[in-house]
Amino acid sequence: MIRLVLVLLTLFAFGAIKLPVEQVIFAQHRQENLRGVEFNLDLREKLGQLGFIAALSGFRAIVADGLFIQAHVAWERTEWGRVLLLFRQITTLQPRAILFWDMAAWHMAWNASVAAMNDRTQPRLALRVKAQREYFALGKDFLERGIKNNPDRPHLYETLATVYKEKYKDHEHASALFAEASALPGAQSFDRRFSAYELSYCEGREREAYDRLRQLYNEGEKERLPTLITRLKFLENKLGIPQDQRIPDRAP
Amino acid sequence: MSDQTVVVARHRTFSFSRLFAITTNTLTELTRLKVFYVLLVFALVLIGSSIFMAQFSFQQEFQILKDVSLGAMSIFTSLLAIVAAARLIPQDVEDRTIYTILAKPVPRLEYLLGKIAGVLLLLAISTLVMSAVFLFVLYAREQSVIQMTLRQMSGAPREQVDDALRAIRSSALNIDLFPGIIIIYLKASLLAALTLFVSTFATTNIFTIVVMAFIYFIGHLQATAREYWLHEHSSGWITRVFLAIVALLFPDLQAFNLVDDIVAGAAISIALFLKTAVLGIFYTAIYTLLAAFVFYGKEL
Amino acid sequence: MTDPAIAVRGLTKIFPIPFHRQSIVAVRDLDLRVEPGEVYGLLGPNGSGKSTTLKIILGLVSPTRGCTEIFGRDSRLVKSREAVGFLPENPYFYKYLSGEETLRFFGRLCGLGGAGLKNRMDELLELVGLTNARKRRLGTYSKGMLQRIGLAQALIHDPRLVVLDEPTAGVDPAGSREIRDLILDLKRRGITVLLSSHLLAQAQEICDHVGILADGVLVREGRLQELIAIENQTELVIANASSDLVEEIESLIKRSNAELVARRRSTTTLEKLFLDATTERPRS
Ligand SMILES: Nc1ncnc2c1ncn2[C@@H]1O[C@H](COP(=O)(O)OP(=O)(O)OP(=O)(O)O)[C@@H](O)[C@H]1O
Ligand SMILES: [Mg+2]
Repeated sequence: MIRLVLVLLTLFAFGAIKLPVEQVIFAQHRQENLRGVEFNLDLREKLGQLGFIAALSGFRAIVADGLFIQAHVAWERTEWGRVLLLFRQITTLQPRAILFWDMAAWHMAWNASVAAMNDRTQPRLALRVKAQREYFALGKDFLERGIKNNPDRPHLYETLATVYKEKYKDHEHASALFAEASALPGAQSFDRRFSAYELSYCEGREREAYDRLRQLYNEGEKERLPTLITRLKFLENKLGIPQDQRIPDRAP
Repeated sequence: MSDQTVVVARHRTFSFSRLFAITTNTLTELTRLKVFYVLLVFALVLIGSSIFMAQFSFQQEFQILKDVSLGAMSIFTSLLAIVAAARLIPQDVEDRTIYTILAKPVPRLEYLLGKIAGVLLLLAISTLVMSAVFLFVLYAREQSVIQMTLRQMSGAPREQVDDALRAIRSSALNIDLFPGIIIIYLKASLLAALTLFVSTFATTNIFTIVVMAFIYFIGHLQATAREYWLHEHSSGWITRVFLAIVALLFPDLQAFNLVDDIVAGAAISIALFLKTAVLGIFYTAIYTLLAAFVFYGKEL
Repeated sequence: MTDPAIAVRGLTKIFPIPFHRQSIVAVRDLDLRVEPGEVYGLLGPNGSGKSTTLKIILGLVSPTRGCTEIFGRDSRLVKSREAVGFLPENPYFYKYLSGEETLRFFGRLCGLGGAGLKNRMDELLELVGLTNARKRRLGTYSKGMLQRIGLAQALIHDPRLVVLDEPTAGVDPAGSREIRDLILDLKRRGITVLLSSHLLAQAQEICDHVGILADGVLVREGRLQELIAIENQTELVIANASSDLVEEIESLIKRSNAELVARRRSTTTLEKLFLDATTERPRS
């Protein structure tokens, strides 16, 4: 009996010691953007009982994979509503997985939007365009939330830039995002180039774009790709750069 | 019988060779129980899932492969820890082998430490083997994806090929997985020590295992309960007492689930890794000592 | 040596029964003393508290009251077990170990190792007749073999005191005779033996000293010869006596004031019959 009391006392005393340690670790998780999942009723509603329990018992990665495979099947059947729902759950469970945000955005902004445009059951063009724009927005939304959860990794910036560029024809935003991506560790070598290309399409920013392209050009042979040269020549003409400062024509 | 006398080493209050004898014996016991079949299941799960994943892109494939492998590793080591540790002492008591052991000059603490060390060794071996299988499968898949990419991009400029290869490599193995695996091991160790503690006052194996399943779930909720208790002051006192008990008595198992995020590609700072590791070791030590304490007063 | 091999003073053990108000008194106010070099038999019916007493002596069970000592050291100290070998009743060892591995394990628990342990193992396996079965797992051993490996295990570190709880339980007559011889051999070498049994015939053959327990109380104790001797009777066993001679002896008894209590034909014992019949063929 005495022993039992002593054991309980030790457990509580140990609990009091460990509590601050656990809190420090918890705070650090927050700080490092880990454990982005808050276990609340909302999540339970989203996942259902079974998924919720599995997620709680430390298998949220596997649960997310299971849902991802379901989403894959839903995609093959072009059930876009279901794809959307599943990806919301998946990204809630695994907010640090770039791949899932990327896939979600791709399904929405590219696949679902194209399908909406080609929807034969909807005869009115205006409504089809509206549906398409809604899917663009959904894709953009996924990427923005993905970036918020993973501010330190370049890939989602690149994808969002591509959405702006290809879907919204918004070169200014696209350029800014490529620039942000290029500043992060692990950025692709094309990020700086793409940022400058996009800028070269923006009315009123030609001078800035020219300077950046020219700087890339000066860095050497590896940056002198055909598109870069084309854009540079385009800007030289537009800005009326003096002949002696222009880049030479490519040797035939 | 010859009258030659055996030279018996003078008795020492604590002896590593005795501890080692018990540890290796425990390991032999567990090995001969064929617990290592679990590892076979692990390999099958891995191979099965990698066949199934042929339809996905390589990023998806690697992600799922890593999730499934590390998830399976986590559950297998935890299960192994609980099932192996739950039977150690009750089995010896039931078979009365404990009488023969403790009738030798073996302190009870040494017996208990030997037992837990045996389980920890078993877990370490299992973790190593599972890691090796996992790394091998991952490496094999990575190589085949690289070969395929090189073939497809044979005409492309060097820089593009490099980018592509870099993308493949970075989505396959990231070095942060290793601290993650160590944390998985520490979580299993903690569970083993806790199971041993529970088994010192449990009457049956089933009881221990049921209690541990319960602790496992509550342990994953402990962080939520703790944060709620510490930061939310509006609830009634009964709720608060309940939350306090959960927060104080149960370990925060969620803190050991770093792999979920590591697999997703998140980097773990060394500080966080060290703190988590220290917490795990601390838990393991405390539960072992408590087990020893209860075991000392136990009527065999 | 002034310290007795075993001293038990005022020992009481009460087992509480969970969820009940009553409890079981397994041993009550027991005093016991085993001198070095003697063979002490603790006798008593089932449930009389023999095993409980032995476990308390070895520090496996804690006493409710009283204390026990081995060579002057309190049983609760681990150190007291240094010089004791113990064979529990119905011993059960790790099924997955072979006979050899079992001995090695227990030897290492006693701090033995290396060539010394190896020699000791060979010697003991030979002694208990398990040399041929040394590589087999204990899961395949018969009850008698388990008892014998248990005995070997108890002797592994060459203890000064051996405590045996029903050493011959489940062992066939030849085996139990071997065990008896072994105990006598231990005694010859000056090793103290404390054993429990309810096989009285056997106890009678080997014990110097006996104590009889009934319901946890020591009802009789003393030197065996003194306890069982019937002071006013003498037995004669005569071979090849003619009936004349027997009559003459009987009349001689009548003439003096003595009384003939019984006259019968000698019989062999069932044990001897059994042994003669089974030892004709070599034991496997
Ligand atoms: N762990 C225990 N819990 C409760 N009662 C016990 C326990 N161990 C022994 N007893 C009780 O104590 C009494 C003495 O038991 P013990 O085993 O010492 O008898 P024994 O003389 O060795 O009998 P046997 O000849 O059958 O081996 C019995 O009534 C038994 O039921
Ligand atoms: Mg008994």
